[in-house]
Amino acid sequence: MDSNYGTYKLRTRHLNLFYSTKQALKDITINISPNTVTAFIGPSGCGKSTFLRCFNRMNDLIEGVTIDGEVLIDDVDIYKNMVDVHEYRKKVGMVFQKPNPFPKSIFENVAFGLRINGERSKTVLEESVEAALKQAALWEEVKDSLNKSALALSGGQQQRLCIARAIAVKPSVLLMDEPASALDPISTAKIEELIYQLKHSFTIVIVTHNMQQAARVSDKTAFFFMGELIEFDKTDKIFTNPSEDATQNYITGRFG
Amino acid sequence: MTQLTLELTKLRTDITEMWNLVASQLYKSLYSLKTFDKDLSREVVSNEKRVNSMELNIDRDCENIFALFNPVAIDLRFVLAILKINNNLERIGDIAEGISKFIIIEKEPFDPPLLQKTNFLTMFEAAIQIVEDALTSFNKEDTKLARSIFKQDEMLDEINAEANQIISDYIRANPDKTEQALNVLSIIRRLERVGDQTKNIAEEIIFYLEAKVLKHK
Amino acid sequence: MNKKRFFNPDIQDKVFKVFAICCTSLGLLTLVVLLIDITIKGIRRINWSFFFSLPSRHADESGIYTALAGMVSLLVITLLIALPIGILSGIYLQEYGKKNRFARLIEINISNLAGVPSVIYGILGLQLFVRTAGLGNSILSGALTLALLIMPIIIVSTREAVKAVPDSLREAAFGLGATKWQTIQRVVLPASFGGILTGIILSTSRAIGETAPLIVVGALAYVPFIPEGPMDQYTSLPIQVFNWTSRPQQGFVVNAAAGIIVLLLFTFILNGTAIYLRNKWYKKIAA
Repeated sequence: MDSNYGTYKLRTRHLNLFYSTKQALKDITINISPNTVTAFIGPSGCGKSTFLRCFNRMNDLIEGVTIDGEVLIDDVDIYKNMVDVHEYRKKVGMVFQKPNPFPKSIFENVAFGLRINGERSKTVLEESVEAALKQAALWEEVKDSLNKSALALSGGQQQRLCIARAIAVKPSVLLMDEPASALDPISTAKIEELIYQLKHSFTIVIVTHNMQQAARVSDKTAFFFMGELIEFDKTDKIFTNPSEDATQNYITGRFG
Repeated sequence: MTQLTLELTKLRTDITEMWNLVASQLYKSLYSLKTFDKDLSREVVSNEKRVNSMELNIDRDCENIFALFNPVAIDLRFVLAILKINNNLERIGDIAEGISKFIIIEKEPFDPPLLQKTNFLTMFEAAIQIVEDALTSFNKEDTKLARSIFKQDEMLDEINAEANQIISDYIRANPDKTEQALNVLSIIRRLERVGDQTKNIAEEIIFYLEAKVLKHK
Repeated sequence: MNKKRFFNPDIQDKVFKVFAICCTSLGLLTLVVLLIDITIKGIRRINWSFFFSLPSRHADESGIYTALAGMVSLLVITLLIALPIGILSGIYLQEYGKKNRFARLIEINISNLAGVPSVIYGILGLQLFVRTAGLGNSILSGALTLALLIMPIIIVSTREAVKAVPDSLREAAFGLGATKWQTIQRVVLPASFGGILTGIILSTSRAIGETAPLIVVGALAYVPFIPEGPMDQYTSLPIQVFNWTSRPQQGFVVNAAAGIIVLLLFTFILNGTAIYLRNKWYKKIAA
């Protein structure tokens, strides 16, 4: 055991990822503390989304992806040790760029994760759905229409529903892949407000193209470029005085 | 070039212009003092309005850049630094005006021995010099030169500290020139404050370039 | 610029529009004339006795009872065979199969199969089921042949329906820890249900109208009994109509017209349902 044991929620060590022969992530080592918000920023194609998806092994779904190095959650290497990927994904919730509620009722969307875990008790389902919707700050808006189609909600509500769906299975980590990029400013503000609240219960990693959003919501910011982790530091440091020229060029918009 | 870069370049041009104006205000004050040219002093007083309006312009431009471009990192520090330098320059402008007003109310030319004893002219020239050095270090992004300003400021402080004794001795020897001596003392006080303001400017330049906060250390 | 045009563009536009209207009306008019002609000829023959009479030498007494029963049993068996195989193949090809060259080859071949003339299927069925498997002129061999015929349609439409389910939904399910089967069962299939159903109904209406392969595999023209098991002989409505039209007596022509009306109604209802379901499904997916 190394000295960092038990200190960090998420860690990677010398992580390399290849799409067949093309290397998408290069030797990434990062330590993410529990109950913090970490923002991943960088230009398109820099590997930040790919890296995010390493934490719940979503890259497994893509053919030709190979990985070496370690990805540890609570100090367990999720790519080894015979981890059951489905069990493991339940511990790591994910929210995607575009709101993607299932074409089902609001209730069934939130209950989905519990149902695939085999939960049948109506009381348990109802309580969990209510708790998750409350935590996602959506309960007041939908409590009278739980049986209506989730697709009838507005984009911002759908995204909060997706957050509720992700947290209903009580994960400890929440991965967000540009969660507000398809939303209007008011919905975006609500999602950001929600992130502040959720930080107390989850370790949150958020990929964003919106620099101001990264600055507003995150405690620490990681800048990725060409598959490398260029700089990882406190957000206020990154946005007032980054150590690397590449980071500065990127965040001030003087890229290339 | 991005729009933000253009805005920042404009800001740099504007602050440089103001800087030069303020330095020339100081210089004209010195010249009018040496030559006892009250017209020139009056020009300094009336030019102060220009300094003030430039300050307001730069303030407004900084505000706009904050609101519209959300500058970060070095850009953020640049605009923050400009905002404060702008303020300091305006104060230096006030000081030049104040000095010129003393010259205008003076009835006869300054007594050379008085100026000699107090190192007055040396001090005045040094004050102008550090304002100009600050500008050079800003434009050349030279933090070494900026740091040399702290040393120069100490020299102004020393001259100021010695001035009290020298002036009271002078008044005892020349009671008829009491009023003029007191005016000189006031001008010395003001020149010392030019040093302080410029020291602040140097701190801002270092903050902008190196992101080190030197204040209150 | 400003090249002299033979026609003013506005006139060109109008001419084309009129031409298009003419073409459309021509097609529609032919259809209307046919429908009216058949309705006038056949409508007076449509009554209960027409539905419940056995075929007969006398046109007035002859009915479609056995043909209707044969058609329905044929369809039921066909669907029982074709649906599970077709739908599961479609799901396999889209969700599980690797996307390589071989898969593309299969894909192209299945699409081609959907376009093969139906009589070819008849000949295949004759050799494969009637002779080699020894099923004879039974409903089963007819149903197997029709199943082969409509399977490509079901596979292709299932694939399309499954493909139309956005990947984001699959990702969402996987992200919650669902297995592949849970994802397909709880997310993909419900979301693509309308599309798959549309494919099923369209293929059913295709199966209803088919005559040629059935003649080849030996559906009879004259069956004076209701089929009781899959090995019984049978006839089907299109065959009955085909048979009646080849009779010289005027009465049978009327019978044929009435048979066509019944057949058309069947097809209209099936297609109508298909369109209704598809619209409903798209609303659900796209909302």
